[in-house]
Amino acid sequence: MLSWLQNAVAQGAMIALVALGYTMVYGVLRLINFAHSEVLMVSGYVAFRVDDRLLGGYERGGSKGLIIATCVAIVAAAVLGVTIEAVAYRKLRAAKGATARIAPLVTAIGVSMLLQSVAQLAFTATPQKFDPRLAPPMWFVIVAASAVMAALYALVHLTWIGKAMRAVAVNEEASRLMGIRPSRIIVFTFAIGSALAAIGAVLYATTQASIEPTMGTSIGTLAFVAAVVGGIGSIPGAMLGGLLIGLLGELVKSTSYSGMKDAIVFVLLVLVLLVRPAGLLGSARAEKV
Amino acid sequence: MRTKHPTRPEPPESFASAATPLLSVHGIEVRYGGIRALKGVSLTVRRGEVVALIGSNGAGKTTTLRSLVRLVPWSAGTASFAGQELGPLGTEEVAALGVSLVPEGRAIFPNLTVRENLELGAYLHRDARIIGETIDDVVKLFPRLGERMRQEGGTLSGGEQQMLAIGRAMMARPSLLLLDEPSLGIAPNLARQIFGAIRQIAEAGVTVLVVEQNTRLALEVAARGYVLRTGEVAKEGKAKELLEDPMVKEAYLGG
Amino acid sequence: MRRVPTFVLLLLGAAVCVGLDLAYDAAVSADRGYKFWLTIAVMCAINVVGATALNIVNGMAGQFSIGHAGFVGLGAYLGGFVAARVALLMKIPLDELRDNLSLTHSLIIFPVVVLSVAAVCALVGLVVGLPSLRLRGDYLAIVTLGFSEILRLTVLGTNADSAKNPITKGIAALGGSLGYRGPSVPGGDPGDFVGIPSVAGPFWIFGLAALMVFLAYRLKRSGFGRALRAVREDEIAASAVGVDPAKYKITAFVLAAVGAGIAGALLVLRRDGPGIVTPANMKFDKSFEVITMVILGGSGSVTGVAVGAVLYTTVFYAAEEGLLQLSRNYSAFADIDAAALRMTLFAAALIIVMLVRPEGLFGEREVWERKSKGGPKPPTSTKPAVATEAEA
Repeated sequence: MLSWLQNAVAQGAMIALVALGYTMVYGVLRLINFAHSEVLMVSGYVAFRVDDRLLGGYERGGSKGLIIATCVAIVAAAVLGVTIEAVAYRKLRAAKGATARIAPLVTAIGVSMLLQSVAQLAFTATPQKFDPRLAPPMWFVIVAASAVMAALYALVHLTWIGKAMRAVAVNEEASRLMGIRPSRIIVFTFAIGSALAAIGAVLYATTQASIEPTMGTSIGTLAFVAAVVGGIGSIPGAMLGGLLIGLLGELVKSTSYSGMKDAIVFVLLVLVLLVRPAGLLGSARAEKV
Repeated sequence: MRTKHPTRPEPPESFASAATPLLSVHGIEVRYGGIRALKGVSLTVRRGEVVALIGSNGAGKTTTLRSLVRLVPWSAGTASFAGQELGPLGTEEVAALGVSLVPEGRAIFPNLTVRENLELGAYLHRDARIIGETIDDVVKLFPRLGERMRQEGGTLSGGEQQMLAIGRAMMARPSLLLLDEPSLGIAPNLARQIFGAIRQIAEAGVTVLVVEQNTRLALEVAARGYVLRTGEVAKEGKAKELLEDPMVKEAYLGG
Repeated sequence: MRRVPTFVLLLLGAAVCVGLDLAYDAAVSADRGYKFWLTIAVMCAINVVGATALNIVNGMAGQFSIGHAGFVGLGAYLGGFVAARVALLMKIPLDELRDNLSLTHSLIIFPVVVLSVAAVCALVGLVVGLPSLRLRGDYLAIVTLGFSEILRLTVLGTNADSAKNPITKGIAALGGSLGYRGPSVPGGDPGDFVGIPSVAGPFWIFGLAALMVFLAYRLKRSGFGRALRAVREDEIAASAVGVDPAKYKITAFVLAAVGAGIAGALLVLRRDGPGIVTPANMKFDKSFEVITMVILGGSGSVTGVAVGAVLYTTVFYAAEEGLLQLSRNYSAFADIDAAALRMTLFAAALIIVMLVRPEGLFGEREVWERKSKGGPKPPTSTKPAVATEAEA
């Protein structure tokens, strides 16, 4: 029973890491970054390739190699996330009218599909796996993910840039009056969100999933639902949502409906949106980052 | 109220004289689509002055302030602050020059605490020691804020939020403070309190340009005033004279 | 445009479609090589139906629905089911069922299919759209995606062997991940299925495509269309003048759902069709494709979207064929994952269109219209920024 709970919490923690990326970007941009799941997938590949090809996998690199590979993946993810923002979303921020709402979403979906198909071309659809000996124990996953989330919370509440992020999320114009440059804050948000996704990807890839082009969509969908259920735009919401989805997922897996796990997760999403659209911790009046 | 900013350069000596205006605006035109919201607004504000901009709804007062901080582009005209042309600048850069706008409707951050709101006002210099001192100054100005430091901005009353907005703007230690309708939606006695605080701010040496619909409050605290009508300056003069002016009395002071 | 009586147009359209049908038959029997182009033409027409439908909700109403594939799949499954059942009822011999149905038989079966698909999709569209249109625009995207995915995953995950209770057993009858091939042959082996009858001949497909475009155009030009546009541009302003945004948004959503369902039915019921309906028909990729067609043509333009659909479909098949030839003739290309490459190109193209010309080929105008004059609108602010001459 305890190991089941540990598993579920670990799952939830990993999902929460990815969910934070969705929620933070939504907080500052009001945009559902569909490409986030693909950043996750790419960082998974980067970590694997670096560890496997450059650092010798388990034999030569060991855990240290994995940590280095993770750092490389984090940097790669941040760069990719920031690039996507600069190329695909920045220009559309100035648009007005009906286009303004739909155009960024369409572009986000386009970027997501592009990355996924490019990954398929580059890496083929065959799943790759980390050496199972590299897999950290579940308690480590929980501790590591929690530490990262604690660090994020400190960043958002105790540092200048964190406060600026929360300000921009609520009122961009007023923030500018104080000398805050929203474009810089947005870049920073993308970088941090992507970095978190990379950590989540490595944790996920080493403990269970295989690395394949669709890995982003499968984890990303769960994380996205977690973010919305917890209250999109709310950081504590993403954490709570992640935990809930993790628990729910493990619960469903142990029943006879295990094949329908994803469908049930979506049903939960729709239910939450209908009953409490702002999410569990979201507030209708102001979006919290 | 301490107003000297330790790291921001003072405007060059030539502007230290009272004669040269700190803020100089010539013929600003603002268009929204095919409509001209401002048809050529000119005004000056000298260092240390309090100038009022009055007029009825839709006259263009808010647009004037917003164009000065470059939230709104202008299609003609120039504006300079301390000799620096504002035209090519962005809003953040105007703030860095020492111009702080208290926007219409307060626009505080409801999800941040009072303290965090104030701290963000000092974003441009972020010096912990100075911030501490400046917050003390703000609390002296608005004691009510001192009692509510840990409260979220969204839980404050309208009047308190206005105080917070002004305090936040003052955290940047501006040389020029712009206020957009500070009395809007505020009970009269509270509005009077707020204008009292504006007077104190001016006495500490901050130059003030205040846009107001409450003409009496504005002209009582100001030295000079401009009357804006349908996007252009209809009248200007000393505040005391404007208060006695028959046109002003009839249109804005209730006869 | 001089006003031509509607019924004359309809008659003309029907005549054209019969002509196309006969031409199709002639071409097919004459030369197998024509089949390639005919397939493209048919797929173009089907995509026109789907894209025009999506345009009503995404383009005209300005609501971002990305669950189109769900309704397409729904129409496909339902269409296959109804067509097969009715054909069995009519005692059509199995051989004819498995080949291409005659026009006369389809005259009975097909309208039944269309009506049932329309009814069910309208109902489901209402159920999905009604609660979600209360929510902010982005949430509609989430809910529609959710709907489409729930549908797909439920069918995909429910196989005959894993079905334990009556609900899942019912869903498993749809074939699960293996796909639906129609009901079992009466009196035959359990693994022997009737197959999806090819009820939708070119007459129906081109006819429906033309009808959809015609109806959509009339819709756009009507009072309903104008109200829809008002809601799209500014909901608050629209409700201020008495237009209830919810009513119009839901109607648009339901209409789009019906159109999508019909497109789905056409997809599986067409001549030389796949003969099987799988959950893959409901993948998000399908929604993405249709969104691309709408964006490419110009959201809000009926003929523009039709052009977009035709363009996309043609390029799609040409690219597929081209890649096939490349992989055959040049060994360097032999291993290329054609589907991935195609998707890469299309996704890249979509992104470029969004950045360079987000309004698409035609924007909101129809193919024959010119750019209208009209300046940008004033921004909304807390106070009216526009000064009137009659000032105090």
